[in-house]
Amino acid sequence: MKNLIKRVAFVVLFSTMLFSQNVFEENCKDCHRDLPASLQRMFMAYLKVYSGEITVKAALKGYLMKPDKRLSVMSDLFIDRFGIKKKSKLSEKELEEAIDIYWDLYNVRNKLR
Amino acid sequence: MSASKNRDISLLLHNEKQSLRRFLALYIFLVLVLISLLSIFYYQSQEKLMFSNQRTVLSGYATEFVKKLKILHHYFPARYKYPRDDRFKSAIYDIERVLIFSTLDNNSTNLDKVIYRAGDKIHFVKYLDDYYLGAMYLILEIDEDRSWYRDTILHILALGTIMLIVLGIFGLFFVNLFLKPMKNSIELLDNFIKDTTHELNTPISAILANIEMMDQSVMSEKNIKKLSRINIAAKTVSHLYQDLTYLVLGHQRVSKDEMIDLKALILNRVDYFYILAKSKKILFDLDLEEASLFIDPVKIARMVDNLISNAIKYNKRNGQIKIVLRDNYFVISDTGIGIKSEKINSVFDRYSRFTSSVGGFGIGLNIVKSIADEYGLKITVSSKLGEGTTFRVDFPKDNRDEKSN
Repeated sequence: MKNLIKRVAFVVLFSTMLFSQNVFEENCKDCHRDLPASLQRMFMAYLKVYSGEITVKAALKGYLMKPDKRLSVMSDLFIDRFGIKKKSKLSEKELEEAIDIYWDLYNVRNKLR
Repeated sequence: MSASKNRDISLLLHNEKQSLRRFLALYIFLVLVLISLLSIFYYQSQEKLMFSNQRTVLSGYATEFVKKLKILHHYFPARYKYPRDDRFKSAIYDIERVLIFSTLDNNSTNLDKVIYRAGDKIHFVKYLDDYYLGAMYLILEIDEDRSWYRDTILHILALGTIMLIVLGIFGLFFVNLFLKPMKNSIELLDNFIKDTTHELNTPISAILANIEMMDQSVMSEKNIKKLSRINIAAKTVSHLYQDLTYLVLGHQRVSKDEMIDLKALILNRVDYFYILAKSKKILFDLDLEEASLFIDPVKIARMVDNLISNAIKYNKRNGQIKIVLRDNYFVISDTGIGIKSEKINSVFDRYSRFTSSVGGFGIGLNIVKSIADEYGLKITVSSKLGEGTTFRVDFPKDNRDEKSN
C-alpha cells in the first residue's frame, strides 16, 4: 500500500513537472510556432535595434501592450504577409514575467564563447 | 696709478659680474620655462600624432570586426564563437554599458573616449550603428608602440640643449650690450670719486706736514690757537679722506696681517686725536695693559680711529673718553649724548648717523663693523641716552694665538 502511494505521488509530481508550463510557454510559444521567424530570430532582431536588457524589455512590453506596425522590428515584407499581432491579454505583471523568461532563454550573453 | 686703475676696473667687474650672474640666472630660468613649455607642446603633438595614426589603423580593424559580428549575429546561436584576431583584443558593451563579451587584457575601459591609453595598451572605441549581438560599443585593444616616446624624448633633449646654448649665447650678448652704458657710467663715477679722493691727499698731507714743522715758540698765543684750529680741521678732513679711501679702495687691498702692539697703537692714535679732543676740552682716561692682535695695521688703525673719532664727535664739552685695553678686549667709552635704544641696532648701517647736528657721512661705524666681521672680532655697543656710549671689542682666540706661531 505504501509503495502504491509512493508510486502515485511520484507519477503526479513527475507529470506536474513534465507538463507544467510557465506564462511564456502558455501564452507565446504556440502562436509563434506557425511563423517562419523563430522566437530566437525575433529576439536577435530586438537585440539589433534595442541592444540592452532594459531597453529590449521595455520595447517588447510596449509593443505587446500596444502593437504598432511602425514599432515592429520585423521587416515590412513580414508584416505585410503576417500582419501585426493582436494586443496581449496578459496583465502587466504576467507580461513582464513572460518577457523576463524570454530574455533569459534567448540572451546571447552567457552563450558566447 | 695704472696698477691701481686696473684693480679698480676689476672691482667694477666684480660687481658687474654679480648683476650679470643674477640677470643670466633669471634669463636661463625663463629660457628653461620656455623650452619646457615648447617640449610639453611638442610631446603632446607627437602623442596626438601617434594616436591619430593608431586610430586610422584601428578604425580599419574595427570595420573588419563589425562584419564578423554581423555574421555571428545572423547565425547565432548555431555559431557562438566570439570572433578573435591576432592583431588586437576586443570587447563589446551594450547600450546600457553592460559588458557582453571581452577578450581584453586591460578591462579599465572608458566608453566616452574614442582613443585613449589604458596602462601599456591603447583602447579604441567604435560606436556601432546596428547593435549586432546587442553591442553598441566595440573596444579594440593593442599594445602601445613606445618607439615614438623614445624618439620624442631624444628630440626634446637634443633640440632643448641646442636651444639652451643658442639662447644662452644670445643672452650673454644682449646683457653685455645693455650693461655697457651702465658700466661706463659706473666706471666714470668711480673714477671721479677715486681721483677726487686722491687729489685730496696731497693738499691735506701738505697742510698737516707744514703745521707740524711750524715753530710755535715764536708765535703769539693768538696765532697758536689759530694754528691749532687749522690742525684740527685738517685732521678731520684727513680722517674723512682715509675713510673714503678705505671704502673705495679698501676691499681690493690685499691684507697684510701682522702682530700689532695694541697698546702702542692706541697711544699713537690718542696722541693723533689729542688736539681734536682738547678743542672740546675732552680728557682721555687710559687704562692700557699689554695686548697684541694679528691683524692688518691699516685696518686696526681705521677701527680705533673711527671709535675714538666718534667718541670725540658725540661727546659733551668737558667730557671724558675712557679707553681700557686688556689681553682679550678693549673698550672705548665716552660721556656723550648716548644713543636711543631703538637706534642701537642700526648704528653699524652705512650712512646711519646718531644725530644730524654733528657732521659726517655715517660711514665710520660701518667700516668698524666690516673690519670686525672680517677678523671675527665681536663688537658690542651699550649706551644710555644723555650718559654716554661704550664700544667693546673682543678678540677671538685665534688672532691672539698667532703670537705663538
